[in-house]
Amino acid sequence: MADKHKAAPMVDEVSEFEILEIAVRELAIEKGLFTQEDHNAWTDYMHTLSPVPAARLVAKAWLDPEYKKLAIEDGVKASLEVGIDWVKQMPTQFGTPSDYCNLRVMADTPTLKHVVVCTLCSCYPRPILGQSPEWYRTPNYRRRLVRWPRQVLSEFGLQIPDDVEVRVVDSNQKTRYIVMPERPEGTEGWTEDQLTEIVTRDCLIGVALPKPGKTANDPRPVRKALKPYGH
Amino acid sequence: MSKPHYDLEHHVKKATGIGDPQCFKGEAGDPRFKVGDKVKIRDLPDVFYTRTQAYTRGCEATVVRLVYETPPAEDEAWDNTENVEWMYSLLFKQKDLWPEYADAFSQDTLETEIPEHWLEPA
Repeated sequence: MADKHKAAPMVDEVSEFEILEIAVRELAIEKGLFTQEDHNAWTDYMHTLSPVPAARLVAKAWLDPEYKKLAIEDGVKASLEVGIDWVKQMPTQFGTPSDYCNLRVMADTPTLKHVVVCTLCSCYPRPILGQSPEWYRTPNYRRRLVRWPRQVLSEFGLQIPDDVEVRVVDSNQKTRYIVMPERPEGTEGWTEDQLTEIVTRDCLIGVALPKPGKTANDPRPVRKALKPYGH
Repeated sequence: MSKPHYDLEHHVKKATGIGDPQCFKGEAGDPRFKVGDKVKIRDLPDVFYTRTQAYTRGCEATVVRLVYETPPAEDEAWDNTENVEWMYSLLFKQKDLWPEYADAFSQDTLETEIPEHWLEPA
């Protein structure tokens, strides 16, 4: 039997978009627009970003009304205080065509809830939030959120009360957005570090609300298989 | 193959250390609209490229912020940065965008950015 065994290919298929990306990248390198080393540096930089700076920005704003005003007025300037320079920190020194240097912080109120989408592609404030989650890039989320926001939010487990205005923010041009949710009850007297922990990525996109005890590092639920294999 | 006549580096030279759209600041002239103005999205042809969503065409909206100055995406896609214009953040009523949007949630809104040449007074 052993001689008949063949290892299954690790990758069954490559999508047309992946082929397109590889083709354009190789052409750009051949043409001298950038080098493979540039590409590696950029990819490495992008994949090591995390939502933590944006979470800290929100936590700071919860504690400091003056900083909150600055964040709403000039998100790029407010980012500097959490260690993110939208212009000079990026490997290119000017952002990229997909990460322009304009951040807006959309502040929720008791009667207003923001949620962010990019209907045209998958624009996302990567310099301060890291790589976007897979679902954020799907046509399913992008097409339905603008049209049926309450229904889509309820699929994330978020029921918005009838008397609250839901405001969808469609990131279609050069501005990137994060949501500043309301500071939840039960966090009185908390430090900036404690508050930062509960502002998860989903809260910053607007599909979740922060709550005490719920952090990005919570253990994942483990469910036992109904029909375990081989045991 | 002959060399291209355009300057591949021109955006790099302009934006490095300043940022994009910051590097176009001051180039758009006086804005046509101000915060609070009611505008209507024109239904312009978009044969090659646009970032003005089809669902906004013909709809009315309110200007909530003049966000920055930039060449519109329709031009920038072709490396043309000559016509810098104001970008407006607009607030739409969901009921205006989607006629079937639930009456119970008539307070719901959508905010997005549209360049000046797509707008006319409502």
